[in-house]
Amino acid sequence: MAGKVTAENGQAGANVGFDRIRRITGYLVGTTDRFNNAKRAEEKDRVKHSLS
Amino acid sequence: MSGNAIVCPEVIRKRNGMPVPFDVKKIRDAIRKANDAARVEAIAPYQFEKLVEAVVEAIPEGKTPDVEQIQDLVEEKLIENGFAKTAKAYILYRAEHTKVRKTEADLVKIYQELTFTSAAEADIKRENANIDADTSMGTMLKYGSEGANYFVDNYILPKDIAAAHINGDIHIHDKDFYMLTETCCQIDLLKLFRDGFSTGHGYIRQPRSIASYASLACIAIQANQNEMHGGQSVPNFDYAMAEGVACTFRKEYYDAVQRYFWLEYDCGEVLGDAFRQALKDAMPERINMSNIDDYEEQFVQWFTECGAGWLAETPEEQKIRRCHKTSIQIAMKETDMATYQAMESLIHNLNTMNSRAGAQVPFSSINYGTCTSPEARMAIRNLLKVTDTGLGNGETAIFPVQIFKVKEGVNYNPGDPNYDLFRLAVKVSAKRLFPNFSFIDAPFNLQYYKEGDYNTEIAYMGCRTRVMGNHYDPGQEVTCGRGNLSFTSVNLPRLGIKAHKDLEVFYRELDRYLELCCRQLLHRFGIQQKKTVKNYPFLMGQGIWMGSDALGIHDEVGEILKNGTLSVGFIGLAETLTALTGKHHGESEESRKLGYEIVSHMRDYMDRKSEETGLNFTLLATPAEGLSGRFVRIDQKRFGKIPGVTDREYYTNSFHVPVYYPIHAFEKIRIEAPFHALTNAGHISYVELDGDTAKNPEAFEAVIRCMKESGIGYGSVNHPVDRDPVCGYTGVIDEVCPRCGRREGEAVSIEKLNELRKKYPDVPVY
Repeated sequence: MAGKVTAENGQAGANVGFDRIRRITGYLVGTTDRFNNAKRAEEKDRVKHSLS
Repeated sequence: MSGNAIVCPEVIRKRNGMPVPFDVKKIRDAIRKANDAARVEAIAPYQFEKLVEAVVEAIPEGKTPDVEQIQDLVEEKLIENGFAKTAKAYILYRAEHTKVRKTEADLVKIYQELTFTSAAEADIKRENANIDADTSMGTMLKYGSEGANYFVDNYILPKDIAAAHINGDIHIHDKDFYMLTETCCQIDLLKLFRDGFSTGHGYIRQPRSIASYASLACIAIQANQNEMHGGQSVPNFDYAMAEGVACTFRKEYYDAVQRYFWLEYDCGEVLGDAFRQALKDAMPERINMSNIDDYEEQFVQWFTECGAGWLAETPEEQKIRRCHKTSIQIAMKETDMATYQAMESLIHNLNTMNSRAGAQVPFSSINYGTCTSPEARMAIRNLLKVTDTGLGNGETAIFPVQIFKVKEGVNYNPGDPNYDLFRLAVKVSAKRLFPNFSFIDAPFNLQYYKEGDYNTEIAYMGCRTRVMGNHYDPGQEVTCGRGNLSFTSVNLPRLGIKAHKDLEVFYRELDRYLELCCRQLLHRFGIQQKKTVKNYPFLMGQGIWMGSDALGIHDEVGEILKNGTLSVGFIGLAETLTALTGKHHGESEESRKLGYEIVSHMRDYMDRKSEETGLNFTLLATPAEGLSGRFVRIDQKRFGKIPGVTDREYYTNSFHVPVYYPIHAFEKIRIEAPFHALTNAGHISYVELDGDTAKNPEAFEAVIRCMKESGIGYGSVNHPVDRDPVCGYTGVIDEVCPRCGRREGEAVSIEKLNELRKKYPDVPVY
C-alpha cells in the first residue's frame, strides 16, 4: 500500500504509485510487490472469462 | 562392463550440471549395495545382468541423461521386476544422499540472504505475500522458520520422507511448525463469550454491547492465531454478533424509557437502577427486536398497575404507548449506529492488529449470511456497508476474508428472509472482492445441514479449508471447535511426466506417494498428540478446540485432536493431464474424464485411510502459494521445459482450469464443480471478470448463481481493484487514473483536487 501522500508547492502525488489489490491463494494482497516470482507470473497470465 | 549390445550413453550430467563419462559400473554398485542392505532378497546373477540392461536400455537416446533420471529408472526397474525390498533399500540410500547434499552450509547461506538482501530481490522473503519480511520481526520469523526447517529435515523426518520433500515429490506444508502445533480452528464465539475467557492476563466476562462483542472477536482470533500456524475462522459470525446487537438494543431501550418518564413526569427516581431492575423483573421476557409488539402490551399493563408507585401518578395509556414506541425508535437508531461503528472497528482492527511477534496481521475469516434475526441482519448489513466504504482513506480491506453462506429458503431467492443481504453481498463483492460465496445447498454440504443449527452449516477458512465430516466421531459432524491438523501435497505433474503416458504406471506411483504422504501425516500427528493443554493456553486452555474443556492443564491433547483432519493435497491437475494426454481438462472432454478419475482415485484412497485408522483423512485442493513455483522449478531442472507442463513459472492451482486458458465463465464453473464434491478438505473456484462486467450486479449475480446451481462449494469472482491514493479513486486504472488524469509517480495540482472534491467527496484533503 502507498504511504501517506503529502502536498508540496501546490502539488500532491509525486512519486506515488497506484495500489493494485489482487487475490492470491484466497487472500487479498494490497500490492503485487510482495508476490513471489511464481505468483507474479501467474497473475500476469490471468485472462478474463467471458460471460457472453 | 556388459558384453551385450546395449547402447550406453557416452556422458551423463552430474547434479552440479557437469558432464562426466557414463560408467555402468556405478549402476551395478548401487543395485548391489541396495540388495545387500535388503538381505532377504537375493538377486541371482542372471537377474542382476538383466536388471542393469533394462536400466540402460530405458535411458532415452539422444539426450544427456542426468543422475536423478537414472536413479528414477533404477527404482522403476527394481519395482517392475518384483524386487520390492531392494527397491525400498535403494530409495532409502538415495534419500540419505539427498539429505547430505542439502545440509552442507545451506542454512548459513539462507541466513545471509535473509540478512543482506531485501524482499524485492529475494524470493525467499516473499513466500507469503501477507508477511512483510523486510521488517525486523518479519526477518526474525524467517530466521526461526528456516532454522526449524533445517532441524526437521535433518533430525526429525524419516529419511525417505525428508528426501521426498527435498526432491519435490511431495511438499510438507508449514514444515517449520512440524514440532509445534496444528493448522487452524473454527472458533465458536458464542460459546467462548458465554463462558467468559482469559488470554493469560486476567479474566474477561461475557461482553455486554456490540462494541465489546466485535472487539473481543478480534482478540479471540488474534490469541488463537498466535498458537496455530494457519488462519483462524469464525463460522457463525452473524449468530454471535446478533447477541451483541441485542445487548446494545436492550440497553438503549431502557435508557430511552427512563429518560422519557423523567422528562414527562419530572421524576428523577426513574433514572435510577432500582427502577430499571423493577421494570426488567416485571416483564416476562426482555425486550428484543422481535417481541416489540407483545412487549408493548405488557409494558402498558405494568405501568397502568404499578406506574403510580414510581411516577407519583398513574400515567395515561397513550403516554405509555408513546414512551415505548419512541424508545424503540431511539434504540433502533442508536443500535444501528453503534453496530456500524463496531463493524468498522472490527475491520480496522483485523487489518492493523499484530500477531506472531508483530510480523503479520492475523489471517482471519468470518462466515455469515444465514441468521435471520433482526439483530443479526443489522450486524451483517452494517458489516457490508463498512466493507463497501473501505478503510480510512477508502482502501479495500484485506482482512478478514468474508464468506457469505448462500442457502435456498434463507437468502437465495426473492422472498427469502435474507435475500436483501445476498443482493448487498453481491454489490459489495463487485466493488471490494469480498465477500466470497459458499454454498450450503451443494449436496456434499447439504448432507450435514440441520435447519437452525449453525454448527451444521458449512463454513470455510480463508484459503479454502473445510472441516465438516467426522469419521472419528460421527456424532460430531460440525464446524465449531475443529480444524485441520496438517496437510501435505503431492507433486502430481511430476507423476504425470514420469508415467510417460502409461496410466498403470501413473496410478501405481500415485498410490506410492499417497501412502508416503499419509505415513508422514501420521508421523506428524504422533508428535502433535504428545502436546498438552499448557502448550495451547488459549486454544485448549479456554475450551475452543472440541473436547478441550474437559481436560486439565497437564493432560495430553492426543485424543481430542482426532476431531481434526489430516489432509493430502495436490496442485497442477492441468499440467498432469497435459503430460498424460497432451491436453488439459479445459480443452478436452477426454482429459476432463481422466481428471475426475484421478481425483476420485485420490479421494477413495483418503476414505479408505480413514476407515483403516479411524481418523479424518481428507483430500485438499491445495492453495499453493510458495509451492506453485517450487515444484515447477525443480521439475524444470530435471525434465526441461515441457510445453504445457513445465514451461511456466508456476503449476496451476489445484484442479483449476489454467489461468491463461480463455474460457467462458460458466463453462469453467461447470468443469470445476465436480472437483468440489471430491475435495472434502477444501476447495475454491474463481472466475475472472473485467472491471466493467464486475460492476454490473446482474452479471455478477449470474456468476454466483451459476456456481450455486452447478454444485460449487466455495467460490469467488476476481476483478481488478486499483486505487489512486492521491485522488482516492477506486476501480480499474490502466496507465492513467480516470479521475485525476495522472500516471503513476506524477503529481496533481491541489487546485485540481479541490475542484474534483466538489464532485467526489472522497478525494483526500491536503
